[in-house]
Amino acid sequence: MRPPRSVMALVAAMLLWLVGASAALAQPDAEAVRRGEYIFNAGGCLGCHTDTKNNGAPLAGGRALATPFGTFYGPNITPDPDHGLGQWSESDFVRAMRHGERPDGANLFPVFPYTAFTRITDADLRNLWAYLRSVPAVATPNRPHDVRFPFGVRPFLTIWKWLNFEPGVFRPDPGRPADVNRGAYLVEALAHCGECHTPRTMTGGLDTSRRFAGTADGPDGERVPNITPHPATGIGKWSTGDLLDVLKLGMVPDGDFVGGSMGEVVRNTTGKLADGDLRAIVAYLKSLPPVDNQVPRKTR
Amino acid sequence: MKLRFGLTMALAVVAGAAAIAEAQTNAAASITARQEAMKANGGAMRALTPIVRGERPWNQQTAVQAATTLANTAKAVPGVFPQGSGPEAGKTDALPRIWQNWSDFQSKSRAFEAESAKLLQLAQAGDEAGFKAQFPIVGRTCGGCHENYRVKK
Repeated sequence: MRPPRSVMALVAAMLLWLVGASAALAQPDAEAVRRGEYIFNAGGCLGCHTDTKNNGAPLAGGRALATPFGTFYGPNITPDPDHGLGQWSESDFVRAMRHGERPDGANLFPVFPYTAFTRITDADLRNLWAYLRSVPAVATPNRPHDVRFPFGVRPFLTIWKWLNFEPGVFRPDPGRPADVNRGAYLVEALAHCGECHTPRTMTGGLDTSRRFAGTADGPDGERVPNITPHPATGIGKWSTGDLLDVLKLGMVPDGDFVGGSMGEVVRNTTGKLADGDLRAIVAYLKSLPPVDNQVPRKTR
Repeated sequence: MKLRFGLTMALAVVAGAAAIAEAQTNAAASITARQEAMKANGGAMRALTPIVRGERPWNQQTAVQAATTLANTAKAVPGVFPQGSGPEAGKTDALPRIWQNWSDFQSKSRAFEAESAKLLQLAQAGDEAGFKAQFPIVGRTCGGCHENYRVKK
């Protein structure tokens, strides 16, 4: 007995759909890649995943980041199947970003700021993944981290995460203006400014009672300034123009240009954002509660 | 013979000491010179900022003056960083990496030179829009060096 015509039609339609879907898989959506590149810049991914100082290939890893817990080396996140993310699926990527877990379930070190990235929206994650799939694969092996005991023991990170990590997408606060919410999303979810600008607690989590108040012990031992609107110790006296200039160009009000890690942030991230987004970041920073914290200058 | 040998050795020691002393003076003078140059750059950027932001009206004289400062210091930059004028020679924010990556440092300083010369040309031509568009390009060359070659402040 022959199957009814309607069943044949259904099978044909499904086959067509499958062919179409696999074609879409083979060719990443150009629009998603374009949007993903913007998210990639906003997230500052290039910095930690590229060994710029030693002329490393983009996103092939190897960049050292000295922290109080040891020195971490950013991994290769190009689509290389052996050393990069070539064998990852989109859901593997989402799991790493949102839950700080590798595809095999092991905890990722929070030097990879999933505490911030967990807030990134589904759409932005999808586009970011499309962009990461589009970059050239580079077969650079990863360098193992050099972390002091017991911080290098991945299962212990479960306790760290229980103390310091709350997974979940960013939720805009309906009581705030739209630009403040957009700025909050950029600062907290993508650009992860607090990872350096917020002082840390004993366990290495962010001290949420002093958000963005700066610290003398930032990454690579750098002094990180207070960016709350406190008039004496923060950015309270900076005009919108001053703040836009430091984000866009790295220029501070005395005519100097920032170097060090913020120089890198300007080059990779804030210098590449749209004006509207920079204004949103400024609006958000100005809306923060001022924290009186004079970060001491380093004595040399 | 012994006397001559002794004299020669003594002369060599004196000459060596003099050369070292001169190098030290040079290094100290270079540190001062580049600090003055960087201060002048900061002053020039400060003078230009309100004009570029549109907070103050276009002023060609200010633009030419400030851009001249930038273009002149840019030409002087590699010269005020002689070998041996790093932290070993005195109080300086210059990192030893400058001399370990001299060709990169030089190419970055050449970028500053080229972009600030362009800025000066635009100022002299009275091209307000072009000047304002060139300003951030010059600014990025400042940060380009500070990122890797200056002690983080």
